[in-house]
Amino acid sequence: MIARGVLGVALAAVMLICGTMTFLYLGTRTSKATVPPAKPTAATPRAQAQSLPGTLYLAQSGAIYSLSAGRFHQLTPEAGWTMPSLSPDGNSIIAVKQARMSSDVYVLNRFGGVVRQVTNNAAPARLAYDPGFNHWSFYPRLSADGATLWMAYDKPKYGYDVILSIWAMPFGGTIAQGKLWTSAADYTGGDVQPVPVSGGVIYTKYDYGPDLQLVGRLWFTNRAFSAGRALTSPDEDCRNPSVSPDGTQIAMICTYEKQVSYLVLAAWNGSTLGARRAIITNQMVAQPTWAPDGSGIAYLAPGVAAGPFQLWWLPRAAYAPPPTPAPTPTPGGPHNGPLPTPSPTAPVVVKPVQVTTNNGFDATSPLAWRG
Amino acid sequence: MAGGLAYFLPAAQLALDATGQVIRVPTPSPTDLFTSPVPQSPSPSPTTGAFTVLLLGSDDDSKFESDHVLTQSMILVRIVPSTKEVTMLSIPRDLYVHLSPGGFGKIDGAYSYGGPGAAIATVSQDFGVHIDDYIWVGLLGLIKVIDAIGGIDVVTSHPVMDDYYPADVYGGWPYDFERVAVLGGPQHLDGIHAMQYVRSRHGDLQSDFGRSQRQQQVLMAIRQKAHQLSPEDLPKLSSAIGGELKTSIPLSRVAALLPLAAGFDNPDQIRQIVLLPPYTHGDGPDGSIQPDWARILPLVHKYFP
Repeated sequence: MIARGVLGVALAAVMLICGTMTFLYLGTRTSKATVPPAKPTAATPRAQAQSLPGTLYLAQSGAIYSLSAGRFHQLTPEAGWTMPSLSPDGNSIIAVKQARMSSDVYVLNRFGGVVRQVTNNAAPARLAYDPGFNHWSFYPRLSADGATLWMAYDKPKYGYDVILSIWAMPFGGTIAQGKLWTSAADYTGGDVQPVPVSGGVIYTKYDYGPDLQLVGRLWFTNRAFSAGRALTSPDEDCRNPSVSPDGTQIAMICTYEKQVSYLVLAAWNGSTLGARRAIITNQMVAQPTWAPDGSGIAYLAPGVAAGPFQLWWLPRAAYAPPPTPAPTPTPGGPHNGPLPTPSPTAPVVVKPVQVTTNNGFDATSPLAWRG
Repeated sequence: MAGGLAYFLPAAQLALDATGQVIRVPTPSPTDLFTSPVPQSPSPSPTTGAFTVLLLGSDDDSKFESDHVLTQSMILVRIVPSTKEVTMLSIPRDLYVHLSPGGFGKIDGAYSYGGPGAAIATVSQDFGVHIDDYIWVGLLGLIKVIDAIGGIDVVTSHPVMDDYYPADVYGGWPYDFERVAVLGGPQHLDGIHAMQYVRSRHGDLQSDFGRSQRQQQVLMAIRQKAHQLSPEDLPKLSSAIGGELKTSIPLSRVAALLPLAAGFDNPDQIRQIVLLPPYTHGDGPDGSIQPDWARILPLVHKYFP
């Protein structure tokens, strides 16, 4: 009788242990797609991160991180920080801090400490009853001489029609000294992501295409509040411009009005874009950024289908293969006999390198890169 | 086995609670004249195995009484398993139609007057479409589902800017407003931002039509993400959805449909339709949208035979 009791208790214990183990085991079998991204400082980037030159600045979950020599450093707390860009001397970071009702441009030092607040977009307390008295500032960029701050700013706005326009203001001044540069189309979201270039500014203009679909177009203007001109067509649906270090090429993201995004390169002569070259067509690519030394392009794209955005690196050889070497002179003088048939050499395919695997970078935040 | 049962218990509980809802079609008021331009009793789909589901999405915050909510999103989905074709037709929430419980009004009110049965009967009688089943999702449900699956990847068509977006999800006062700025371009959206993207309509010249296109876009992104999930994710999903999902599809049919869903992986076979002008035009009573049935019905009968 006692033996049967012991057996029963033992079986119950075995069932309990097996049941618990099964429960816990199944819990570990959930798909990786649902696992929250790790903080860049907690995750280990792949070894390829060490080959990236200089320091790269990225945003994730409201914090700005730097990546240099293969290691991430968290520069700000998770408090709405995004869209880092650099001063021309590389010693300051210009970034956006977004709150629930407004966002402002700040100057940070290289270690993420706040140096000063540039804009003041929160509604004053006496007007806080109406959300419309607040403003957004996004995509800050300094001019090459560091004197002018470019940004997207939601003024003017008309009731429900809240649109971002491109503004320029003295970097040491206030928004009251700022100048409206573009005339954004109504009910489109407006004009965003200015990139100051020699002789003007390139930006993304959202507007309705001929098929009444909202599309993005790269736009160039060289005079405040002039019409400017389109650099890309509506059916290309392009955004996220980035100018190469030598100023002769532009990388951008084009979707062709579909749920895809291609990394496209085009020559830039200071006035128009040349023929397009789609470099990456099988990923949802965002925010291409040229390495300051011209060694490649970093961009954000999911590591797995429908996953959070990771950092990727496209070496220069992938889009600008080295030229075929010129034939070397035959030692000993000209060749008199029949020329040997050259054997065809297979083109070297250079693939993009996934630098991080389990982060979740903000794909609406441009990357900044210090050489 | 006991561990496995315990693990999947929440999913089983949800499956039993949410599926197989009985559709009760309300009896119209005898004083109301029926003036719909289409036959009342559309026959079931002639294509073998094809079926049509009405997707309904609602605000269900404290502004509303339980189950007396407006359906701010109404999407007819026809699925043809044999050809793996899917057609999605977004019905403007402000469309001025004859409501099945009686009288005329915006189509989003049908559900509030008579639940899913009234919504189905209204769409069915006005559009001349046989509807096999419905799926209703609450506001919080969509947010939680997207968070539970780890977010979705979307190329947002443009910056969605709204100074007067309803702060009724997590705020204390459901009539409050907040500002939203969902920026344009490829990005990974969590539940709350995906909801802002599909729900805001103030900053879109096409108002509800633009919003309908964004809703279809997010549905497609959820479908794509679902391909990455495993059965072990079901308990987490079901605890997220709890109470925010109802469907008339019986559990046995859900089980049969799940393997089928995996086969619909060709985006070119998913047709998306939004009833933009000239199919509809403004100037309806109380800010509603007037349908042009002479244009709508041939289109609907072509894709929802």
